[in-house]
Amino acid sequence: MKTRGTVAAAVASAGILLAGWQAGTQAGGTSIITATGTTAEGSGGASGTNGSAPHSATTKGTTSGTTAAGTFTGAAVQTRFGSVQVQITVAGGTITDVTALHLTDDDRKSIQISNRAAPVLRSEVLAAQSADVQTVSGATVTSGAYLTSLQAAIDAANL
Amino acid sequence: MTIQLPQAQAGPATRGPAARPGRDGNGFAVQHRRRLLRADLLTVVAWASVAAAVALWLSDGGLAAAATPAGAVTAAGIVAGLVGMDLVLLMLLLAARIPLVDRTVGHDRALGFHRKLGKPSLYLLLAHGLLIAVGYGMAAGLDPVSEAIALWSLVPDMWLAYISMVLFVAVVVTSLVAVRRRFPYEFWYAVHLLTYAAVGTAIPHQFSVGGLFAEGTWQRWYWAALCLATGAALLYFRVVQPIAATNRHRLSVVRVEQAAPGVVNIVMKGRALDRLAGTGGRFLIWRFLAQGMWWHPHPFSLSAEPVVLAADGTGTLRITVRNLGSGSGGLVRLRTGTRVAVAGPYGLFGTAARTRDKVVLMGAGIGITPLRALLESTPFAPGQATVLLRGHSDRELYLSHEILELCRLRGARLFHLTGPRDKGQSGWLPDDAVHSGYSLTSYVPDAADADIYICGPSAWAGNVIADATAAGVPATQIHHERFDW
Repeated sequence: MKTRGTVAAAVASAGILLAGWQAGTQAGGTSIITATGTTAEGSGGASGTNGSAPHSATTKGTTSGTTAAGTFTGAAVQTRFGSVQVQITVAGGTITDVTALHLTDDDRKSIQISNRAAPVLRSEVLAAQSADVQTVSGATVTSGAYLTSLQAAIDAANL
Repeated sequence: MTIQLPQAQAGPATRGPAARPGRDGNGFAVQHRRRLLRADLLTVVAWASVAAAVALWLSDGGLAAAATPAGAVTAAGIVAGLVGMDLVLLMLLLAARIPLVDRTVGHDRALGFHRKLGKPSLYLLLAHGLLIAVGYGMAAGLDPVSEAIALWSLVPDMWLAYISMVLFVAVVVTSLVAVRRRFPYEFWYAVHLLTYAAVGTAIPHQFSVGGLFAEGTWQRWYWAALCLATGAALLYFRVVQPIAATNRHRLSVVRVEQAAPGVVNIVMKGRALDRLAGTGGRFLIWRFLAQGMWWHPHPFSLSAEPVVLAADGTGTLRITVRNLGSGSGGLVRLRTGTRVAVAGPYGLFGTAARTRDKVVLMGAGIGITPLRALLESTPFAPGQATVLLRGHSDRELYLSHEILELCRLRGARLFHLTGPRDKGQSGWLPDDAVHSGYSLTSYVPDAADADIYICGPSAWAGNVIADATAAGVPATQIHHERFDW
């Protein structure tokens, strides 16, 4: 009788794990799509790098030059909630737009936080014209990475 | 010295419930099969809950996040935390005295599982903290200690989780030490109250920090339901039901009379006592509401069926107590009229555990007294029951006159086994019986086809169990519950 209980428990557990795994492979896909969707907001960087995951952690401006104009992509900063990478659009030496190419999206909570923090940070940066702005409370990690990537983009633009 | 009482000549079981419908014939075999089925179901539920904890993480796309080394370490930490917390909830449920669990595995086996889960759940929770600190640290480029400090200071509710961890370590370590050193029950009880603080401080960070239980996810609902259900079960079965039982029975002490040197009968009167009929062998938790005693819970079985005097269940009941330890000593001086709070009955040491029509009751010392009540109420046909009482001398065969009377009335064989213990061997029988080559089957030739109830000191009971096993009695027919905890 003990074997009956053990076998039944094993079968039930395996079934539950399988169902969880099945749900996970589907949910995993949607969560990435959601994340990409949120980063696509903003008008500036309509480049092809938008959808693809930014692997290179090096700073590179998409248009190089001494005159500050064009779009500049910051380094991808790794955090425990996912990587963060921002792109700035510069015209006439001022930052006209900040686009988040990728934000912390390891889990739903991070996506929630990112969605809340990104617009706040964007408006602050556009007002201050630098990375020297207040972090968003409750989104410390995301803010820190955002501003680090932003600073790299500003450096690349030689502002 | 061995006395055998010839099988009683009292013919039909006039007062025994032997003829109760559904209990004769193969009634006990059916009861046993149902109990095994319930046990299997509980096993399935327990394992399924662990699997579900892992599945929660899987369903949130956990495997995808574990692709990087840092992600893998973090993922292992998350799974350890989920499984650890699930085991903690199972431990709480096992200790909640839920009737379904009690009727299926019994109180002491439930607590046995509870104890077994103590160390694994602690290790999992420690691994959870450690792996998360390392995994987050790897992702953020920090060493685990700096990461742990950052988590403490930056992330809301995490400081509570750190306190929880310290409490869990304190609870498990002191429990293990308390069990080994035999600390007083009160100390062990106080330590266990800390468990509620440990669980309470662990819960906030699970919902606010982990993305798995973010608002709007079904995982959050599942986890919240699990925590709430566990809390509700504890509150209902450990607090509400005892208060209701105390209120229902309104017990008060009628008299305390000496049954033997150092042993007293405590007689109480109360209401609705018909509801406690047939609970012989199972234990109740008594609190005598007198100064300096009310906080001390005593687990005792009834030593006789309740005597019901009126249709509303008004009557008296009796427990028999030996002066054991600091707590039981004061019971001798109980005053008439002292109110008594009661909870229970608990445990599987009773008719609900029967698997066969034949029954053997074996008691030693004060362990005889629960069997006295069981003998009165458990169903059997004349000739199908045997009672073996063990003591150093006749004086230690408590309530033996009542037992003799019951055996006569119901048609049970009775053996008095008195005399010093056999020194060389680990026997349960007196010296002279061992030298005569007697064993369990000398007294009960058909022991392998009977339920054997054993109540006495643990060492003695262990020897009886060994003898019964050697005589071919399956483990499912051996019933023993510790009463010295």
